[in-house]
Amino acid sequence: MSGIALVEQALNGLVIGSFYALTALGLSIIFGVLKIVNFAHGEFYMIGGYIYYLALAALGLPPVAGVVVAALGLVVLGGLVEWSLIRPVYTDKVDRPDEYAIMITFGLAILLQNLMLSLYGPWPLRPAPIFRGRVEIGELIISGDRLAAAAAAVVLIAVVLVILRATWAGKAVRAVSQNRKAAEVLGVNVGRTALLAFGLGAALAGAAGALIGPVFNVTPIMGIIPVVKAYVVVVLGGLGSIWGALAGGLILGQVEVFATVLIPDTSRALAYKDAYGLAVLVLVLLVRPQGLFGERRRLA
Amino acid sequence: MTLPTDVRVGLAAAALFVALPFAGLGDYWLYTLTIGFYYAILAASWSLLVGYVGRISFAQAAMSGLGAYTSVMTVLGLGWPVPLALVVGAAIAGALGLFIGWLSLRLHGPYLGLTTIAFAEILRIAVTAEHQWTRGSLGLSAAPLIDGATRPVLYFVALAVLIATVALLWAILRTRIGLFFQAIREDEEGAASLGVQVTLWKVVAFALSTAVAGLGGGLYAHVVGLISPTMMSLQEMGYVLAMAVIGGFHNIIYSALGGVLLQVLLEYLREIGEWRLAIFGLITILILRFAPNGLFGTLAALGAALRGRS
Repeated sequence: MSGIALVEQALNGLVIGSFYALTALGLSIIFGVLKIVNFAHGEFYMIGGYIYYLALAALGLPPVAGVVVAALGLVVLGGLVEWSLIRPVYTDKVDRPDEYAIMITFGLAILLQNLMLSLYGPWPLRPAPIFRGRVEIGELIISGDRLAAAAAAVVLIAVVLVILRATWAGKAVRAVSQNRKAAEVLGVNVGRTALLAFGLGAALAGAAGALIGPVFNVTPIMGIIPVVKAYVVVVLGGLGSIWGALAGGLILGQVEVFATVLIPDTSRALAYKDAYGLAVLVLVLLVRPQGLFGERRRLA
Repeated sequence: MTLPTDVRVGLAAAALFVALPFAGLGDYWLYTLTIGFYYAILAASWSLLVGYVGRISFAQAAMSGLGAYTSVMTVLGLGWPVPLALVVGAAIAGALGLFIGWLSLRLHGPYLGLTTIAFAEILRIAVTAEHQWTRGSLGLSAAPLIDGATRPVLYFVALAVLIATVALLWAILRTRIGLFFQAIREDEEGAASLGVQVTLWKVVAFALSTAVAGLGGGLYAHVVGLISPTMMSLQEMGYVLAMAVIGGFHNIIYSALGGVLLQVLLEYLREIGEWRLAIFGLITILILRFAPNGLFGTLAALGAALRGRS
């Protein structure tokens, strides 16, 4: 492989990796605080894509405002879901909270997918991206919509990192992630923090859907593949670990790009592209369940 | 001797299903019910794992697909008779379930959920990719279950398999093994301290559940005549989950009835399109939140309470 092709693939992997990281970050924040995997995360992502489309098509908003509206819409949806369905998990209202959380979010995924399928049909929608055209850096040519979406993803991630580090609410999220009991003793309102974390996680999924929707397509099932990638990413980085989600996203982006290029039989390589990450997921959970950056804890 | 409520409900349903063809139910609805029996097997096998042992799995639809493809390819490649091929399909699915159950012994809750999703998706991707054998997403034609069988015959065969499977699972759950399962669900370490071989029974439960799913998949393949990787998708898994939860996933008989009920409703409400699936999703959520014993479990409890008062 020539030098320029190598750089091009690496850049492609970086762009895809930033998408993965953005989607996975919300999943990881939710897991950190609530210790549940949100199996409806891909559908939050999908709803974000639709809100973005509607904001542009029906309200005539500019793309950047569309992304903001999608994120805000998902804050509301996420908050409602947390308040109505997730709250029983940590208020001892259900028998077996682990299984309840898994099944209820999976049920929510069925509901949202088929709701959007009923409302908008299976046809792919293609809203305008943030930026059109191509970007040329020397011999490198990258499509502008992807690059712009990746740049926006990086900005969003940076904003979230600052919020988590600098604001009181962000510190509460991190405190509850590290030690729920201790945080509660020190005066953190765990219920409000859980609501916040779920809303923030949902907003990140919605923003990701709004940014990536125009690059690929907005359909009711657009969230299924990205969310499976996000599972791989959070497991690889360590469930609940913020930095792990970011590093995991970038690693998976590179692995997919280069594993596909390096296998000679191209059609088979492409067909198995989505399976590499899953094999990584299984391997990590079996060998090192805390992932690359997660803390060791009992997995019960 | 009075029978337990769930058995009486199950027997009543079975009697109804046996009577329906004689009451003049048309081929179309018999076929719908036949597919419903497939989902009933799947939902029952899933609830064995989730409801009794407390081990979550998202691989049930994929295991059903594995059983289906194995059975169809055994007939195609080796020329074995269909009933034998069904057994091979169930055995392969059970063997893979044994392996996955053993690998994931230490994992719980969300970790187990993610691991089983990964295995399910890897299976689906492999079946799609290896198209020289499976014809990929084009789908693979299956030999008929019985040559020249009419719809009513297929209906009774599927019903017989469903009843036999549920009865077998029920009988197993009634022995000490069922108690071991529930002890593991309630408190794994406590069960181990009282001499329950937790490792063994967790693996056995996984293998048993996936073998039954594989059998169901094989049955479906030879009844319908065409299988494709979509039967292994996570959406399909979602429907199985909805069926078991709506029926009542703490009881194999109720979750099996949930499978039949939802399949019939799916056909009956065809004109409202995808709204029916959205509604099923909503009902699944409401049931999990407010009536975790499911439709039949809640009704049975209600009936018992009413009788107790009168």
